[in-house]
Amino acid sequence: MSIKIFAKLAEIYSKDPGRMLLHTGTIGWILSCAAQTIAIATNDKIDKKQKAYLIPQEIFDGLVNIVSFYVLTKSFKDIFLKLVSTGKLANKSIMKFLQKNNLTNKIGKMDFNIEKLANYSEIEPEYRAFKDGVGVVSSTIGSIISCNIVTPILRNKLANAPSRVLREEMDKMDKEKQNPVQSYNSYRSPMASYMNHAGGMKI
Amino acid sequence: MISGVGNNCNNINFGGHFGNFASKARQSFYDLIKNRVVKEGGDRFYKFAGDKISSAEVRLILGCTALMTQPFIDFHNHKQDEETRKVSVCRTVAKIIAGMTTGFLVRKGTIKLIQACSKYPVEKFPKWRTIFTPKNISNMSERDLRNHQNDIGTWVALGVMLFTNFLIDAPLTKLLTNLFTSKVVKKPQDKEMRGVA
Repeated sequence: MSIKIFAKLAEIYSKDPGRMLLHTGTIGWILSCAAQTIAIATNDKIDKKQKAYLIPQEIFDGLVNIVSFYVLTKSFKDIFLKLVSTGKLANKSIMKFLQKNNLTNKIGKMDFNIEKLANYSEIEPEYRAFKDGVGVVSSTIGSIISCNIVTPILRNKLANAPSRVLREEMDKMDKEKQNPVQSYNSYRSPMASYMNHAGGMKI
Repeated sequence: MISGVGNNCNNINFGGHFGNFASKARQSFYDLIKNRVVKEGGDRFYKFAGDKISSAEVRLILGCTALMTQPFIDFHNHKQDEETRKVSVCRTVAKIIAGMTTGFLVRKGTIKLIQACSKYPVEKFPKWRTIFTPKNISNMSERDLRNHQNDIGTWVALGVMLFTNFLIDAPLTKLLTNLFTSKVVKKPQDKEMRGVA
């Protein structure tokens, strides 16, 4: 059963390895974020005031990673694949094929797609090898920009605000522990003491 | 402007002026990019990347580049005090090392396993060596078979990482964080000693 599921997934993604890297990367970030958040929360050697920053930082890391992965990495990859399918980015063999078929005037037009040509099979192995490579390289560069530059900057900025609020709350609780304010109930005399103070008054 | 709405939701056509504007804008954007025919070296590089770089190698590349950027970004977050920034840097480095190592090994291992279990069904291979062999293997090119093996390997790796994230990654990150933090962050008693001296 599970073998069939993996085979089906492989069939869906076999034509587009770059897309598979996007989807598996996203699921990977969600799992990693959950595990790391638990690890910080249960680490006794980290001070609780530092945890007040590290936990929001980790949660925002997961969230921002997923969004920036789709907005940046996917866009980056899609732009490059569009350049390949419209012939704007090609190798010598693909260009020769386009010249041979008098298609150079169509290069770069949005409605032009090499894969839709009637004689596409002539160039398919060469074209697919090139396109697969462009897909992998562009999604890797996009991932480096989104995961290693954009995400850490944004996650830190986003985590600063909740960490400040959490620390203020912690400071307030610490102060209350050091200088406990007597509650209204503690000021009330117990009934016995009231009765003592009441003297001979009849109630 | 919505130019026309069909009989059901799937037929809603957002064409008209907006559609024309969007396609013209996209065309203008692509027109800004120069046509480029890559040279022999570039072509070889792209083909090498398509052939040899699987999700395992991508994880390694991302981990190495993360070590070059993320610790510096964390250390320059001046909204946090110095101690917190140091702990944050230690944790980031620990997380990258743990994630990169387990991520690479799990992905590489599962891809190798799938390659071993998707052999061409001939007599010399036992049945278990063909459990991941695609049905249409005889019509597949070498590239298609390799993509198939990498894809199944990556998905199996994801299943394995459901467990390794919690059983290896997170505990290893915790261990390394505590190790790095003990070297970088001064303990309160050390500060007191320094104050007395």
